[in-house]
Amino acid sequence: MAKTLKLNKGAEQCLLELLKFLLERGKVKGVFTLSKVGESGGVAYSLITDPTALEAALPLFPLMPVDAAKVLSRLTLVEPSAEPIAAVVRPCELRALTELIKRSQGSLDNLLLISSTCGGVYPLETGVNGNISEKLPGYWEAVKKGEIAADIRPACAACEHFVPYNADITLALIGNQDVDKQCLIQLNTEKAEQFADGLAGELSKGEAKSGVVDSLIAKRQARKQELLDEFGVEDFDVQKVFEKCIVCRNCNKVCPVCYCKVCFFDSGGDEHDQRYYETEMGKKGYAPVLPAPIFYQLVRLFHVSISCIGCGLCGDVCPVDIPLWAVALKTGGAVQNAFDYLPGRDLDEGLPVTTFKPDEFAATVD
Amino acid sequence: MAKRLGVYVCECGTNIADKVDIDKVLAVVRSLKDVVVADRYKLLCSGDGQEYLKQSITENGLTHLVVAACSPKQHETTFMNVCERAGLNPYLFQLVNIREQCAWVTSDGEAATDKAIRQIRAAISRVHYHTALEKKGMECNPDVLVIGGGIAGIKASQILAAPDRKVYLVEKTASLGGKTRRFSKLFVNMESGPALIAGEIERLQKNKNIEVLTESEAEQILGFLGNFEVKVVSKAEDKEAKEQNFNVGAVVLATGFDLSDAKGLPQYGYGTLDDVYTSLDFEEMNLADGPTQGKILLKNGQPPKSAAIIHCVGRAEKGYCSKVCCLYSFKFDRMLQSQLAGVKIAHFYSDLCIPGKANQKFYEDSRESGVEFIRSAVTEIAGGDKGLTVKYESESGAKGDLAVDMVILLPAMETSGDARKFAEMLNIPQDDKGFLAEEHQLLSPVASAVEGVFVIGCARGPQSIAESIVQAEASAGKILSALVPGRKLELEVKTSQILESFCTGCKTCLEVCPYGAITFDEDRQISVVNEVLCHGCGNCAAACPSGAARLKHFTFPQLYQELKEVLR
Amino acid sequence: MAPDDKGALFPAEGGVRERVIAFLQKAISQGCFDAVLIPARAPGTDSLTYSLIGAEQLLENAYPLPPVMPVQGAKAISSLTRTGKGTKKIAALIRPCELRATVELFKLGQVDLDNIWLISIDCPGALPLAEWAKDAKKAEDAFAKILKEGPNEDIRPICQICDKFSTTGAEDLHIGVPAGKASGILLIPNSPKGEAILECLGITAGEDLSGWRERVDKLTGARVEKKRQAQQELEAKSKGLDKLLDTFSQCINCHNCMRVCPICYCQQCFFDSDNMQFSFEDYLKRAQAAGGLRLPPDTLLFHIGRMLHMSLSCVSCGACEDACPTAIPVAQVFSLVGNRNQEAFDYVPGRSRDEPPPLRVYQEEEFEEVEQSHAAVPAKQEARDG
Repeated sequence: MAKTLKLNKGAEQCLLELLKFLLERGKVKGVFTLSKVGESGGVAYSLITDPTALEAALPLFPLMPVDAAKVLSRLTLVEPSAEPIAAVVRPCELRALTELIKRSQGSLDNLLLISSTCGGVYPLETGVNGNISEKLPGYWEAVKKGEIAADIRPACAACEHFVPYNADITLALIGNQDVDKQCLIQLNTEKAEQFADGLAGELSKGEAKSGVVDSLIAKRQARKQELLDEFGVEDFDVQKVFEKCIVCRNCNKVCPVCYCKVCFFDSGGDEHDQRYYETEMGKKGYAPVLPAPIFYQLVRLFHVSISCIGCGLCGDVCPVDIPLWAVALKTGGAVQNAFDYLPGRDLDEGLPVTTFKPDEFAATVD
Repeated sequence: MAKRLGVYVCECGTNIADKVDIDKVLAVVRSLKDVVVADRYKLLCSGDGQEYLKQSITENGLTHLVVAACSPKQHETTFMNVCERAGLNPYLFQLVNIREQCAWVTSDGEAATDKAIRQIRAAISRVHYHTALEKKGMECNPDVLVIGGGIAGIKASQILAAPDRKVYLVEKTASLGGKTRRFSKLFVNMESGPALIAGEIERLQKNKNIEVLTESEAEQILGFLGNFEVKVVSKAEDKEAKEQNFNVGAVVLATGFDLSDAKGLPQYGYGTLDDVYTSLDFEEMNLADGPTQGKILLKNGQPPKSAAIIHCVGRAEKGYCSKVCCLYSFKFDRMLQSQLAGVKIAHFYSDLCIPGKANQKFYEDSRESGVEFIRSAVTEIAGGDKGLTVKYESESGAKGDLAVDMVILLPAMETSGDARKFAEMLNIPQDDKGFLAEEHQLLSPVASAVEGVFVIGCARGPQSIAESIVQAEASAGKILSALVPGRKLELEVKTSQILESFCTGCKTCLEVCPYGAITFDEDRQISVVNEVLCHGCGNCAAACPSGAARLKHFTFPQLYQELKEVLR
Repeated sequence: MAPDDKGALFPAEGGVRERVIAFLQKAISQGCFDAVLIPARAPGTDSLTYSLIGAEQLLENAYPLPPVMPVQGAKAISSLTRTGKGTKKIAALIRPCELRATVELFKLGQVDLDNIWLISIDCPGALPLAEWAKDAKKAEDAFAKILKEGPNEDIRPICQICDKFSTTGAEDLHIGVPAGKASGILLIPNSPKGEAILECLGITAGEDLSGWRERVDKLTGARVEKKRQAQQELEAKSKGLDKLLDTFSQCINCHNCMRVCPICYCQQCFFDSDNMQFSFEDYLKRAQAAGGLRLPPDTLLFHIGRMLHMSLSCVSCGACEDACPTAIPVAQVFSLVGNRNQEAFDYVPGRSRDEPPPLRVYQEEEFEEVEQSHAAVPAKQEARDG
């Protein structure tokens, strides 16, 4: 039974207090969280080592400029962290990190993982125009009530996995009526208890999961279905969906599951010489020249579907507004269901491709 | 394997110790990760100091070494040798210059100490990323390439050729012999040029260690002393061009001279008036296989009754004296007199150049035989119905003219047209007169600025056959002592490599390599570094945007770590 | 650089698109070339994909001068020819900035032009990619208006200050839209290959181009002035480390700008390579040195590094800005830096196939010149600003 601490401070303040406590007491050497950057209202992840620099930190700011899992993977790829670091990440980022660790793309050693029940984030576009600050009050209202905030990213509106798996510490935000005055910090692991030892706060019985959370899960599931229907995902016409794709590969670059050092599409493996194009042209009278959108998108889906978290960054960064998140969510969901696999749920749950046995084929196909 | 760094700060007597607070430096250094020992020593380059270092490396089981002392130019090799003796790869070492770059450039001790700490920290960061590099050696190639089949080239080839040393003699025209072959007589003893040369050529051709390539030109020479990669293209008339590639250890340039173009000085009438000849024209006339079968004749077929020899044609314009013209002009006197009884000869000169122990008499004999010597400036050679008139101004300013049948001009000697091509190919400077420059006017007269490349004969300045032979012998001497067969050449260790997976074939690196060390592999469509020719200058690594070209010992991580610490 | 200004009038009816397609169809039927590389739309979709089209009737789906520039033409030509030549004669119909980028790539060994005929066309600009993405039909209508009436405020910011929208001199053939005529296009050859097209079509270059040239020159002059002003403003807003950091503060390091840039030809970008792979300790040390470290780090380093590598060849095509998910004015900044650097070397990227990139022919002695040229920029600027 996890221990829960209650602090009489608003959620963000509470988290900042925890982080400050950890840094000042030397329990961690650095804190990884969102921080203000520039004057236009933007945020970026930072590794903060000086407690005073925490003044610029905005850990619960509803914007996800990059996937924290990608960053943490990059940080710990060459060698694990030798020092304790506290990392504040969203539930989807945490799941992505788990998927990356399964593929040896980083290490969880010495990381204290802090997450929260997540109300979602706004599209990058909104963040770019500096408009998030005016949306904040509405956002937190939705969090309190367990509603889906208006104008939140579609991927977030459709997300039912907003209760973090495998976090050391979880902040219970969703459904907390007094989220601006009071905060519940759930210490899930022994590690969490050790780190938080000495933090001023009363023991409480509350926990992250609650009736409000359950009802939000239901709302999100309904919304997901609505959005997918809107998008017409059942009549998925590959040509139509990807017709505007310019193969900028942004989706590949921001996706946490795309971890290849040299993507197949950078390796020249897909290059053809002119004679090939001429032959193709000879067959049909025309031949599209690289880059080939459908081939790229499908191959990427093949590679990432099994671990697709549904974080939605792909759609966020697409310059021609293809709702990639919907495509990924649907195909990802379908593939994962076939194997009864939920990416990021369990670090010990092996990737289906590594555990699949031939006799499972029939079951899977059904 | 865990890294064990040793850091030593040399006091350099008082040079460093008096300025930098070494103990403070050591205190900082000792706290750094992986530094297992850090200490100071009075004079690390001394015999005792080196022994101390060697022992320390072994005793402390050091995997990397950092020494903070003087300039790498002075002692980098010293300490690298210490590492080697101690069994530590010498490239796992970094020398930090806290003398010339720190203690010696400030009087502020605090600033010096602070800077020394930064520099040493940077070196420690860098050395973490060093990799062991192995020395490379290759045997020097003792063979020699001689370019130019004139007397200088022939002589050099004869001396150098031996069973363990092949000589490639490359000659542009169809026959060996150069200019000497076309001098019917040679001063001072008036022996036959063709006969002399024929003898030398026969000797040469009998020598199995000399490969003669006529109608051939060297198109590409890349490399350095002990290893030049040569490409020679042979093209006989009406035949297909043939390419030959071979390696040599040294190159001798004996490309000879041309006469400067007398047509560029219209006052002498060359090319416009009949019977105005240059010295080389006159030489041809006297050859049995020449245009007049050896007879000295005017254009009208008659032998001349008088001749004027005009010295210093073009000397003022060129700005130098061609040294041998006066001497061979006296030779012309004898050639004219022996064929044409009673011929009147007049020399027009401003100064006579008669150096050498045998030559004064040569001149006096001319005078005594009735040849006139008129000290003057020739203003014009005029033509007319009655033949040529030499118009001149004497020293006193008095004007005069002399009617003659034939005028022989002595134009300035220039280096042959090919010199420029080889100067560029081999990166040898040309002096301000266009001749290939010797390394040092006094102390190194036949070597060029490029090690392994020698310049002899008229390619480097106007001179006589005797002097050209002396230089041929000198260059042979230098080559023989430098290129001992079996001697090992040390090749550059810190060379560049191009990673195939990154290279996209843009060829920028090829264009910026000063040593011609990069070639393009058409099949794989990538650039490839010849590590033997590579000097490790780093141009390619700097020019390559993708990081395909990487310089060993100066990789991005190494430089990045060093810079990061220095800037902190 | 104005070419010889001989041209031919090719008779064709309809809007600019129709006229150009008619020309291409005729040229293919006469065998002037075997196929065309041009953006084309798969019927029933909104797509615009560079395609090799050999069948005349399929040219009906071609889109010369599409409303947006989804893929830089130079990249398409490079995809086609980089790994091996073909046997057919192919005409590539591209915007002037795509042409200039192609010429740069040619000099960098990424494009083979032996069997390619480069045909450029007077360009009124392109609309922002995001607009087309939101509503393709609306964008097409807006662009049809521009094709008819000339460029307006709807075109991308980088297009609004473009002074190289017409002939460069490096193309084989240039297509101009004749002044005051509702039909026909001007075919202006600039090389023997271009002349061969006219010969093949059986038309002579006898048309008076003065009207067209006048119009082009006038607009060029106006654009030069607009560019000067815009760049002056941009410089004031972004010059200096602090301002530059601010300009790029929203950058999420997606590297999209590099990905779509035609000049960025590296197989793997230096900034994606193992050279930028650091240990955790490195990151922590950096964070400790400053109290905090933004992650992923080195955002500005990427941009400055990219400028270092490609700015001398930057043709100001704007593909980067179209692709940026956080609306950073990348093209405008890179174009500004590119222009200044190019000025220092007297180099205009794409103007000549024979002019080597400055880095390759740079001699030590020139350093002073270049240095002074940069120092002279403030003076030049003062002169410009009057």
